[in-house]
Amino acid sequence: MTTGGWIFIALSWSFILVLMIASFVRVLRKK
Amino acid sequence: MNQSHPKPREQWGTRMGLIMAMAANAVGLGNFLRFPVQCVNNGGGAFMIPYFVAFILLGIPLMWIEWGIGRFGGKYGHGTTPGMFHYLWKHPLAKYIGAIGLLIPFALVVYYNYIVSWTLAYSVFSFTGKYAGIMNFQGMADFLAAYQGKVSNNYFPSIATAFLFFCITHFSMMWIVSHGVSKGIERLAKIAMPLIFVFGIILVIRVLFLGTPDPKFPGNNIANGFGFIWNPDFSMLKQSKVWLAATGQIFFTLSVGFGAIQTYASYLKPKDDVVLSGLATSATNEFCEVILGGSIAIPVMVAFFGLAQTQTIAASGAFDLGFFAMPVIFQKMAFGNLFGTIWFFLLFLAGITSSVAMAQPMMAFLQEEFKMTRKIAAWIVGTMTFFFTLPVIFFLKHGFLNEIDFWIGTFGLVVFAILEVVLFIWVFGGKNAWKEINDGADIRLPKFILPIMKYVTLAYLVVLMVFWFIQDGWGVMTMKGVAAADYPYIWFARFMLIGIGICMIFLVRIAWQKKHIIQQRIPE
Repeated sequence: MTTGGWIFIALSWSFILVLMIASFVRVLRKK
Repeated sequence: MNQSHPKPREQWGTRMGLIMAMAANAVGLGNFLRFPVQCVNNGGGAFMIPYFVAFILLGIPLMWIEWGIGRFGGKYGHGTTPGMFHYLWKHPLAKYIGAIGLLIPFALVVYYNYIVSWTLAYSVFSFTGKYAGIMNFQGMADFLAAYQGKVSNNYFPSIATAFLFFCITHFSMMWIVSHGVSKGIERLAKIAMPLIFVFGIILVIRVLFLGTPDPKFPGNNIANGFGFIWNPDFSMLKQSKVWLAATGQIFFTLSVGFGAIQTYASYLKPKDDVVLSGLATSATNEFCEVILGGSIAIPVMVAFFGLAQTQTIAASGAFDLGFFAMPVIFQKMAFGNLFGTIWFFLLFLAGITSSVAMAQPMMAFLQEEFKMTRKIAAWIVGTMTFFFTLPVIFFLKHGFLNEIDFWIGTFGLVVFAILEVVLFIWVFGGKNAWKEINDGADIRLPKFILPIMKYVTLAYLVVLMVFWFIQDGWGVMTMKGVAAADYPYIWFARFMLIGIGICMIFLVRIAWQKKHIIQQRIPE
């Protein structure tokens, strides 16, 4: 895997995880 | 309010249950099979640039639009798009345009459920070792062809096994919807989604620890597998096909344009949030697609078969990857039977939860517009979809399924999405639509989202529609590459679709003639 591959996997996974965790935290707080 | 509804409409039991059900609707076979193949064929990591651009500009806005339309319709006692469009546009034609939102999910159930039944069958075959010993792709292709009744061999003398698994899948689906929104669909989602997560994570961990399965081929390893899917090829971004492939993937993966999200959202309370819930649903789907789906099939394929063979399989499509390559790969792994069972059962769960969502609009329509009980509606929907699936099963080798899949599962979805965006944002009005989406929202949407919905999302959809028609539609319409012997079957598929469409229009007409007091209220 190239450095570019690592960067894309890190950015993509981070974006999704942050979006998911942040949205579920808000959902649970508002419940 | 509609005076003909003495009983209150069904509602979701919990907010988390609703999000799980919506996510279960979106997560399907495409998350685990179509996405990695699209990624590999369209620039690897670089594919994620147009993918996330489409996610932000097309996927999420369309998700909010569909949630908004659904909750709006639910206020007036309508869980399907004929009723919803009727209130969005005070025009007699609106409800008939909404009939497309009945036709699409109904026709999708007719063939999608059959494909879902294959995953259940393969899960059982994996557990029992039915395909044990078939160690090449051609052998698995022959195995599947016999299962589907295209040929007869030692594994399957007839189509009986496939038919049995279809019956099990079909009756499971109808049993779930017959129990209603909260006790059927929501309960299924609360079981299926955690299982999908657990199975997916188990498979990803197993894949990550595979290392180099055969030391004689040091290049065939997991790191190269991830590299194959993630190493960016930026030159591909100059090609319009890559941007369109990414847009198409986002469109399919979020299950927008199906008519199912609107029905699910109609069971919300009038002041329930749609913005945050829609975002959580989209994020959950992306987790299943990019993180789980991108880390299983392709990396494991590279580890066992190398880059060249993976490239060949990826070029031949998601289907070959799932049903030809994966069973062979699992046989090369320790405890392969177990992992194969988990993999195909994961696909089954992802599929059946989507099938249930596709069946629900017709259920809601019969219950609300014809005052049927849930059980009777389930029997009618179940019987009708069962009989319409029979030609899909028995004429599969004549291209029957592919024909329906293009007109409904590809072209139809984007046409319907365009219609709903135009009706909601342009006809109902940007201000009204914005108010509708933001009413009760737990997070504030930035104002620039509205022009994105109004112009960018719509432009994306129109480009997709035009491209798909030029690329595939004309060839499908003129039956390019279809054997002359298959022409009657293709025509049969087309007449069946037209027939179902006409039936939907008639049902809408009868429903409105019988029960509806046309209300002139359009929210300010």
